[in-house]
Amino acid sequence: MVLAAKNGEDARNGRRSRGPSPNGHVQTESSDDDSPVPTDKIRVGRDYQAVCPELTPESLRKPELLADRALLVWSPTTDIPDSKLEDYIMLAKDKYGYNGEQALGMLFWHKHDLDRAVLDLANFTPFPDEWSVEDKVLFEQAFQFHGKSFHRIRQMLPEKTIASLVKYYYSWKKIRSRTSQMDKQARKLTTPREDGTPSEAGSEGGSNEDSDHDEKKWTIHRGIRRKSDTSPRSGTSDENGNQGEGGACSNCGVNCTVTHVTPKGSLCTSCFQHWRRTGILRPTSGPTAGKRGAPMGARHKRKPPRGMYINHDDLAAMASGSAGVLILKAMDRELEALHRQIQQNKQVVSSLKRKHSESLEDLRPTADNSSRINSRWTNEELLLAVQGVRKYGKDFKSIAEVLGNKTEHHVRSFFVNYRKRYNLDTVLKDYEKDNGPVIIDDTADEKVELEDALDNNSSSDVICVSPTPPAKKEFKNNKITIAQASK
Amino acid sequence: MAMQPHSKKRVCYYYDSDIGNYYYGQGHPMKPHRIRMTHNLLLNYGLYRKMEIYRPHKATAEEMTKFHSDDYIKFLRSIRPDNMSEYNKQMQRFNVGEDCPVFDGLYEFCQLSAGGSVAAAVKLNKQASEICINWGGGLHHAKKSEASGFCYVNDIVLGILELLKYHQRVLYIDIDVHHGDGVEEAFYTTDRVMTVSFHKYGEYFPGTGDLRDIGAGKGKYYAVNIPLRDGMDDDSYESIFVPIISKVMETFQPSAVVLQCGADSLTGDRLGCFNLTVRGHGKCVEFVKKYNLPFMMVGGGGYTIRNVSRAWTYETSVALGVEIANELPYNDYFEYFGPDFKLHISPSNMANQNTPEYLEKIKTRLFENLRMLPHAPGVQVQAIPEDALHEDSDNEDKVDKDDRLPQKDLDKRIAPENDFSDSEDEEGSRRDQRSYKGRKRPRLEKGSDSKDGAMDEKSIKDEIKSEKDDKEDIKGSIDDNKKDAGLTP
Repeated sequence: MVLAAKNGEDARNGRRSRGPSPNGHVQTESSDDDSPVPTDKIRVGRDYQAVCPELTPESLRKPELLADRALLVWSPTTDIPDSKLEDYIMLAKDKYGYNGEQALGMLFWHKHDLDRAVLDLANFTPFPDEWSVEDKVLFEQAFQFHGKSFHRIRQMLPEKTIASLVKYYYSWKKIRSRTSQMDKQARKLTTPREDGTPSEAGSEGGSNEDSDHDEKKWTIHRGIRRKSDTSPRSGTSDENGNQGEGGACSNCGVNCTVTHVTPKGSLCTSCFQHWRRTGILRPTSGPTAGKRGAPMGARHKRKPPRGMYINHDDLAAMASGSAGVLILKAMDRELEALHRQIQQNKQVVSSLKRKHSESLEDLRPTADNSSRINSRWTNEELLLAVQGVRKYGKDFKSIAEVLGNKTEHHVRSFFVNYRKRYNLDTVLKDYEKDNGPVIIDDTADEKVELEDALDNNSSSDVICVSPTPPAKKEFKNNKITIAQASK
Repeated sequence: MAMQPHSKKRVCYYYDSDIGNYYYGQGHPMKPHRIRMTHNLLLNYGLYRKMEIYRPHKATAEEMTKFHSDDYIKFLRSIRPDNMSEYNKQMQRFNVGEDCPVFDGLYEFCQLSAGGSVAAAVKLNKQASEICINWGGGLHHAKKSEASGFCYVNDIVLGILELLKYHQRVLYIDIDVHHGDGVEEAFYTTDRVMTVSFHKYGEYFPGTGDLRDIGAGKGKYYAVNIPLRDGMDDDSYESIFVPIISKVMETFQPSAVVLQCGADSLTGDRLGCFNLTVRGHGKCVEFVKKYNLPFMMVGGGGYTIRNVSRAWTYETSVALGVEIANELPYNDYFEYFGPDFKLHISPSNMANQNTPEYLEKIKTRLFENLRMLPHAPGVQVQAIPEDALHEDSDNEDKVDKDDRLPQKDLDKRIAPENDFSDSEDEEGSRRDQRSYKGRKRPRLEKGSDSKDGAMDEKSIKDEIKSEKDDKEDIKGSIDDNKKDAGLTP
């Protein structure tokens, strides 16, 4: 008790140290005294109670005339099946950048007319994300400086409202670790170039050989396949005739969607341009084909996250400005779609699992209940029940399940009625023994006894269980005994 | 009363997309963002499309002064972070500044929160919906002319006042870990609203909510307080919630119910000290819903915001009678729910200081109080002369004053190491002082300038002794009550 009290104390103190709480609860004595309005007692008087309005007599009520004092923005409909609604929302999201709420709002505006809503989607593209990359960087800097003092942050971003800052803060807060991982990645990219150690591309050296692996990387790294991609990136190297399928550049080792097959190997666009103009391979400080071929001593260092690698085209696009933003956006959207898919799949899996286990429950009794519930005890069943007591103790439910055609109640009454006759207390003692230090010999003897008893008395329903352990016969487990006994 | 288990209901939901953008201040535990997180989960669970969604109007000053004083609302309307210095005196008077800071958009925030609850009440009055939900509401500490405990405008009181236009009796249930003092105070002397609050009591904000606070005047027995200790778990909570609410429903027979779903009673709350899971918390909703009365659900406390949004999402699904998967759908704030990304949470292994005996004693005591209620349908008939009300309520005060102090003293002497008294012992003297201060509030002038609790205690004890005789019977019963409640071993 003392210990518990102490623990409680600790917990309370711990809680106290955590941030402010409503007054009184955590305040020190002095501040409590200073507190201008201590609230410890319900006060009575005109200054404290509400004045209840008269009950409107039923005859004077006009509920239909009451103003809603709220704007209806969505009402449920049964006309549109869920799957169709889902498709519609996805379309609005992916194609027009709506969020789920806006999409439903549009549908509601068109009085749940799906076709008209779809047509209208294009006319009202929601506000593009009003946070430019500069804004975001600025916010991050300001945040590092001022913490969550949005007033101060706002001084660095004067055109933003506090509300907008707060909103952005909450959406950025948890994914900033994700962002920083990308920064790390960027750092990884630059550092090896400086010290010339083969790195990320090197570690992915086999990437043009194992195409299936490549596929996997795509989904993880970009999620955007070239064929379906609508981003402007696709236009970057259209004029080149002899494009390769994509892969790592043999010169700089960077992966890209389009490589140019040359006598020097397949090159990325930059290397290709350089080679075409100068006739020599572009000098790179990064990993080269040659280095990649060499034993990769420092390869294990600075590995990028598994399955992640840098795509040259993307780097080029990122550097060129606006296209980069679009790429990032597309990536984000893709990431989101994948996340959503993952969670949906998880939901499906768990619901299937549950269904599975439920239907299993449904099936079990019907399968077992070839013989209906029957309160009459046959000899075999009596023997089984005794065995059951041996095995499950007083867990009558389990015994009933083994028997199949008896309820828990039946077994319970069996236990009471036959307690003396079959010396069940001894059997129970043996069961209890089992739960302590196990004495297997005794159990075997017990079973043998039972079997013998059954053989001797198979015509009558009298089964004797002798508590004294006679000659030792070994049986591996109860099941064998039961099987033999029931034959 | 008819109970229907799994009925589909028309559910209306009130939400303004701006509400998540208000920010109490750095380090402040109250985060309106949790309402947006809930909203986003609802959207991604597909529950959104199963309800009528309303964007509430901002409540007007006129609407808010249906309960609050004009001065106070005027003050809220005019104060801003940049003009705070001009309002020093009023800030003190209205308790704005510390726990209830002045933040950007404070008034609008109050308008949205109150607007939602008022609109919800109107909707129920129109009988256009069976269940109305406003997670932006539930700010149950706000007083008539005073902010308190992160609450400025009491949307619940405003909502109930609206309901009272069409309902003779309204039941208010509060499952926040803190006592619903604002609502209780607002309806302390009326028999048309019964307030039932389950809360942690003893060295805990706001300090009110004693088992023996039962209402005053006409409202005597119409305030029900269930004081609880640390570590309430799902089973204990249900074991006290279900019988008490059943009894209340049976005796009070309300025609509408308001449930404050403060989520700080969940396990792992930043400020709370209970051990409820989302399921256990939701069971209260499920249970109240079964009565098929016009039903308003509002938010409230809740300071571990990922769990708040879990609970309120689950409770929305309960209101709708829709089962939702334990795996959270992807949503805008998905990362908040790591590492497991599940809807339901597990309780911690904290000790439950509420023994079954303790709960049983509370229950018995409250049942006795509820038996004192006139049988519900006759409630309107019970006539109390206008002038009697005042006298009566004065009496109430004295009664409480009578027993509070000495009894507490007694407890200290009798049972220093009893199960529940550790917190009281630790700061016993301070507590007495505080309760003294609180007690003096009903405009008892004596000793108001003194800070020495022990001194005042003594003088008051003397004073009480003199009054004792004529109150003997009442006091006796309350002393019993106290013993029953497990305050002594």
